[in-house]
This record gives sequence, structure tokens and C-alpha cells, in this order.
Amino acid sequence: MLIMRHELLLIAITVILLIVEIFLPNTQKHKIILPAILLMAAVTVIGFFPGTPGVLFGGMFQSTQLTMMFKNILNIGVLIVFIQSVDWLKQDQNKEKISEFFLLMLATLIGMNYMISSGDFLMFYIGLELATIPVAALAAFERLKEKSAEAGVKLIFSSALSSGILLYGLSMIYGTTGTMYFADVAPLITGVPLQVLAFIFFFAGMAFKISLVPFHLWTADVYEGAPVNVTSYLSVISKGAAVFIFTIILYTVFSKIAVMWSDLIYVVTILTITVGNLFALRQQNLKRFLAFSSIAQAGFILLGVIGQSQLGMTTVIYFVLVYIFSNLGAFGVVGIISNRTGKENINDYDGLYRTNPNLSLVMMLALFSLAGIPPLAGFFGKFFLFTAAAKQGYYILVLIALINTIISLYYYLLVIKAMLLNNSDHPIAKIRSDNYTRLGLLICVAGMVIIGFTSSIYEMVFNLSFGLY
Amino acid sequence: MFTEYIFHFLSILSLFSAVMVLASKKPIHSVLFLTLAFFAIAGHYVLLNAQFLAVVHVIVYAGAIMVLFLFTVMLLNLNKDEQSQKPMWVKIMAVIAGGMLMLTLIGILRKYDIQSVQDPMTTQIGLVKNLGKILYNDYFVPFELSSVLFLTAMVGAVLLGKKEQI
Repeated sequence: MLIMRHELLLIAITVILLIVEIFLPNTQKHKIILPAILLMAAVTVIGFFPGTPGVLFGGMFQSTQLTMMFKNILNIGVLIVFIQSVDWLKQDQNKEKISEFFLLMLATLIGMNYMISSGDFLMFYIGLELATIPVAALAAFERLKEKSAEAGVKLIFSSALSSGILLYGLSMIYGTTGTMYFADVAPLITGVPLQVLAFIFFFAGMAFKISLVPFHLWTADVYEGAPVNVTSYLSVISKGAAVFIFTIILYTVFSKIAVMWSDLIYVVTILTITVGNLFALRQQNLKRFLAFSSIAQAGFILLGVIGQSQLGMTTVIYFVLVYIFSNLGAFGVVGIISNRTGKENINDYDGLYRTNPNLSLVMMLALFSLAGIPPLAGFFGKFFLFTAAAKQGYYILVLIALINTIISLYYYLLVIKAMLLNNSDHPIAKIRSDNYTRLGLLICVAGMVIIGFTSSIYEMVFNLSFGLY
Repeated sequence: MFTEYIFHFLSILSLFSAVMVLASKKPIHSVLFLTLAFFAIAGHYVLLNAQFLAVVHVIVYAGAIMVLFLFTVMLLNLNKDEQSQKPMWVKIMAVIAGGMLMLTLIGILRKYDIQSVQDPMTTQIGLVKNLGKILYNDYFVPFELSSVLFLTAMVGAVLLGKKEQI
């Protein structure tokens, strides 16, 4: 029981919320917000109690200290998303759909939890689907808006296609090895052409989910069309969980053909960082802008994956942790401004500092952290990723990544310049944010600053990542 | 020997109908050819002694999903010849990309020495009894998790189908 406690707790609160939902009349749906957030907070806190690592159901489900910690990271992220969404959920057009939002979010979180502690490809696949399909419904949450409905349809089609490719790869792995368990498959991976092709299909399927170039084309449209809070969830939590299990499978199951996949990742990393950055330069809509910036950030994460070591695993997890706080901070500000004023373009942010100094400050810190400016956590995240890649001798790759960091600094600074320096005749009026939004942004800022200054978190992740590679 | 003839017949039938799904001009013809393809694949399952899979395949795909497809084609009145025309270079690129994938697949499968294959007639793995045992022993957690997936899918459907005041 204790081994699976994260998942069982989440299922329990999902069922509780489902039952509460039934008894709430249509006009009282907003009363579910506070219990949902409190229950999620309770699950997050309980998750931090020391647990027992172990294997359940004959290797189908495996829980280690590392997966437990990553589940805690995901819990924190989802909690922040919940808190940030309250302002948006209380709007008139969403009032009757509040409980569905929480239920679908929790279901995806359950899927991710099972996915990251799966010990079997079938389990992994079901978890992956549970983590993707409900998000499509969430992306179409404001379905009367054409763009939101379009985002939902695009997400479900692209994820169906990528799942198909992934399953084709998995079927080949099953065909060549005769088993689906990670532990049994790993020694049977010998690098015969069929297995290499299977790996490429698996890689392509996962690259769709993580939105790596050249499988990124759905990202910008979906991120732009979906409601801001769903976008932030997609770009941070979904991506983080997929990256984590992807790295684990690469390191454990496919470790024997590491020579082959490191070449593949080398090329994909360069493409992802460069294309993501160059397209981000051209964006005017902030959601599209953050979408391309998140593609570029996914490319940076691959630098840690290519590190192929305990250090590589550590840097990936550490960067995801930092990225959660930074990106949720940026999306939090974009979300509150978009909800209150409907403005999403960079030009609209001209002179924001004069009217909303606090929001601009949070946005500035978040963008600095995403760009990697020293005192903030984002700098250390990127720095460690570069170290991991450099230790394996990928100096040219690190150089290209560094050049791209400079490019990314330029476009992040463009937004900051608009907020702080540009003058506007019609700046966004003063926004009085409610306490939920303030709390959400405060947690993000605290995360960015504290993680940057406490090295013990990195040490802890490093010690837990031992023995994976 | 007899099964070999059936195998060849079913293979040709499924490939032919799969090509016709893409090649037919009218959507309704595509849907009907797709049904034919599903039946041919179900025949393959029977040849592999996987009767349960064959029956499920016919019921779910050829039954439920195809009826949905037909309804959609009928209700949206798609039965007109108005396919969007792609530019020529897109078609050429698609043919090159697909052809390369096909060449790779053929080459790899020719090279691969299939050893671990078991005779489906002797293992009896595809029978309902054995399948149930595996499903409820080895694959119990994914099986139960898929029920959570269905619950969530229902919640999502309710969310998208809810009546909204504007």
C-alpha cells in the first residue's frame, strides 16, 4: 500500500471530488475549488513523508526514491496550476465546468504517476494515454471559442498519431524480445536493425509528446488556442513527466544501444534549440512566444539526457524542477492579464511596470530565470545541463547551446523591455489580483529564488539518481 | 497448405482494401473498404488461433466504430467529391518519405532472422481462457488503470457536451 501511496491518494481524492460534484447544485459549483486545492495540498504534503521503495505486481509497478521525488515535484506543479486557475475558473462562462477541470487534471496526474513508475511498456503506454487524452478535453475547455476547440482537436489528432507510431515501435520491441518488462527487455536489446527501427519509432512517439523538432508543429497552435492555465500545465507538467520517463527508459532499457541514440539526440538537440529559438524571435502573441521558448527549453533538457550518467539524470530532474517554477511564474502573469483584459500580445505589455509593478516584477524574474541569469535558479539548471554534456565531450554541442542561450536572452529581454522601458498611451489598467493568484505567483518566485540559493536540493537529487545508469 | 492459400488471399484482400480506402474518391466508399480491411485482418487473427481477438476486432471495429463512421459521413453529408488539393511538391515529398520508410522496413524485415516465434497452435495463447488468465494476473494494473481512463473519457465527454448559456 505504502509503495503506491501517491497514486492511491490521488485516486481517492478524485473519487471524493467526483462524489462531492454530484451533490453540488449547478449554481454552487465554485464551492468545490477550496476543497480541491486543500486536498491536493494534503496529498502534496503526505507525498513528502519518507516512503518505502519497492516493486509491485511482479515488476509492473516500481517505486524508487527517485520516482517518489519526481512525483512530489509534479504534485507541487499541479498544486500551483490549481491555485493559478481559480481566477479563470470563477469567470462566468466557466462557472458550471469547475469540477470537471479538477477531475481531468487529477486524472492526468494519476496517469503521469503510473507512467513514471511503470516497469513495463504496456503500463507505460496506458499511463501515457491517461496523461494525454484528458488534456485534449481540457484544451477544448472554452469550446465555444473557435481557437480552443481547434486546439483540442489538434492535440487529440497529433497525440493519436504519435501514440500509433510509439505503439508500432513497442510492438517491434515485443516481437524481437518476447517480453514487455523493462528489466527483461534491457539485456535482449542487441542492436539488430529491427530493434533500432523500433527505437526510432519509440523516439518519434516520445518526441511528439515532448514537442522536439521536427515533431513540434502541433505545439504552437495548441498552446495558443488552449486556455492559459491548460497551456501552462501542458508545457510544464506533461512535458516534465514525459522527459523523466523518456530519460529513464533511454538509460535503463536502451542503454546497450547508447552509441546509436546519442547520435540521434545530438542532431535533434541542435535542431530543437535552434528552431525553437529562431521561431520564438518572430512571435507577437505571448502564448505562442512561450510555446516556442518551451520547445527550446526541451532542447536544453536533451543536453542532460545526452550526458548519459548519474550527472545527466540529476541535471534533467533539477532542470525540470526549476523549469516548473519559472514557466509557471511566466504563465501565471500571462494568465491573469489575459483573463482580466483579454490581451496577449507583447505590444500590449508596453508600460506594464507603471500600472502593475508587482506583476511585471514576477514576469521579469520568471523570464530571467528561463533565460538563465545568475542568481536565479534557471542559471544553475542550464549550467548543470551544459556541464553534463561537456563531461561526455560534446563541446561543439555545448557551444551551439551557448550561442542559442544568447539568442534566447535577446527575445526574453524584448518582453522585459516592453514592460519596463516602453511607454504606451493605453497601458493595461491596474489589475487587482485575488489572493489565490498572489499565492500562486509567490510560490513560483520563492521556488525560483530559493532553489537558486540552496545547493542541498541539487545534492539530494544527485544522491537519489545513483545507480540508474 | 490450405491455410497458406487463405493467408495469401487474406493478405491480398487486406492490402487491396487498405489502398482503396485512400484511393476512393467518395468518403462512403472509403469507409466500406475500411470495413473490408478490418474483416480481412480479423481473418488473419483466426489463422493465428487468436479467436477472441478476431471476435473483438469484428465487434468493436467493424461493428461499433464503422457504424459511427458511417453515421458521421451520412450526417455531415460528406458524400461529395470535394477533397482538398495538395500542392504537387507536398505529394512528391510524401511519396519519397513513405517510400523510404517502406524500403527500410522491407530491408530490415528481410534481414531479421525470426527465431523466437512460437507456433500459435501449440501455445493456445489466443484462447479466451488463457487470455483472461494473463489479463487478470500479469496485466492486472494496466487493466484496472484503463478503467480510470474510461471514467476520465466520460468526464471529458460530459465537459464537451454540456449545455452552455451564452
